[in-house]
Amino acid sequence: MFSSSQFEDSSPLAGGGFMSSQLGGSTPSSAREIRDMQGLVPATVKQISEASQSGDEKSSFIIDGVDVANVTVVGMVFNKNSRSSDIRFHLDDGTGRIECIRWVTERLDTGDLDALEDGTYVRVNGHLQTFQSKRQLNAFSVRLVTNFDEVTCHYLECIHFHLQNSKVQSKANEAPDSSFGTPVRGASNGHHPASTNDFSMQYNADGLKSFDKLVLNYLQQPSNIDREMGIHVDELSQQLKSPLEKIKDAIEFLEREGLVYSSIDDYHYKAVEGL
Amino acid sequence: MDTSSPAAFVNGGLLRMHVGRKVRTVIQVTRSDAGSVMGKSTDGCQLVVRGSPPAPLTSYVEVIGVAENENSIRAELWTNFGDSFDASNYDQLCQLANGELKHLFL
Repeated sequence: MFSSSQFEDSSPLAGGGFMSSQLGGSTPSSAREIRDMQGLVPATVKQISEASQSGDEKSSFIIDGVDVANVTVVGMVFNKNSRSSDIRFHLDDGTGRIECIRWVTERLDTGDLDALEDGTYVRVNGHLQTFQSKRQLNAFSVRLVTNFDEVTCHYLECIHFHLQNSKVQSKANEAPDSSFGTPVRGASNGHHPASTNDFSMQYNADGLKSFDKLVLNYLQQPSNIDREMGIHVDELSQQLKSPLEKIKDAIEFLEREGLVYSSIDDYHYKAVEGL
Repeated sequence: MDTSSPAAFVNGGLLRMHVGRKVRTVIQVTRSDAGSVMGKSTDGCQLVVRGSPPAPLTSYVEVIGVAENENSIRAELWTNFGDSFDASNYDQLCQLANGELKHLFL
């Protein structure tokens, strides 16, 4: 009844939605397990508005190829409307507005919410749902933001979640965690080519990582092609200002691809010519 | 649900890319008068924000409004962001949000 094949790519979510993808491999046996494992997904209202729906009876949404039921959003409160059965407001996070509903069971629950003014920053955790073809957030938690680094942090988490799942989707080679784990420092975006001092992994159209290409380019220089004995890996390490291990990994990859070969011994390499 | 009028994350350098459009940024207040506030953007530029700031103002304030030119914003919304705020984090966010991850925001 519940097919588990559609959940193959969602294993990165196990563990709360923020974790890295090291938990892969455990495909759950039932859809209900999936929903319990998802945790809270950080998202912008724009992402939510563009999410497709999964169509099964769960009517959950799909963001970046991942089934999402619960999200966490940070934004400002507007148009708050308190009624006896519920409190409604619009949450504006700068990327769009979404209606949030906090159902009232006991008056005590919502003491905080009563005092909320327009323009106040809150974090809303809630269940995504559709009502009369409008997307809404059924909020189970609305909390005031007191430290505004939380606002910056939330958007970075949205970016991180997105990149994490785009990486899984495109089935690219595994990049070391350090390049995406610290999006704040040292991350180069797609518009700037990687400099020789910046080794965050970018992918060129032909599937070679930038660093591999650096090594290859060095070996392909005419002056180096002419060197019969080849280039020692230590020289590569020195010239490219990179640790030996990294050079060796790149060489290993390039050798497998048939782009370089070892010359006089296992430490000297040359680029294959005539490609 | 409404995704119209989203505000672009900007710092001093990115402001010029969004002149005439809705933007949001955080500045560190250097001077505040009745109708405007001068502050340092998260990448160190001097910006002028016109409008009626709340009183009192904390050191860091987020403004959301329309970019008038490459160093001035006409603010509609002001939010005190406190006296300690990680400006470099926010600056990196601005760069990411204007790069290839723009589609998550605008």
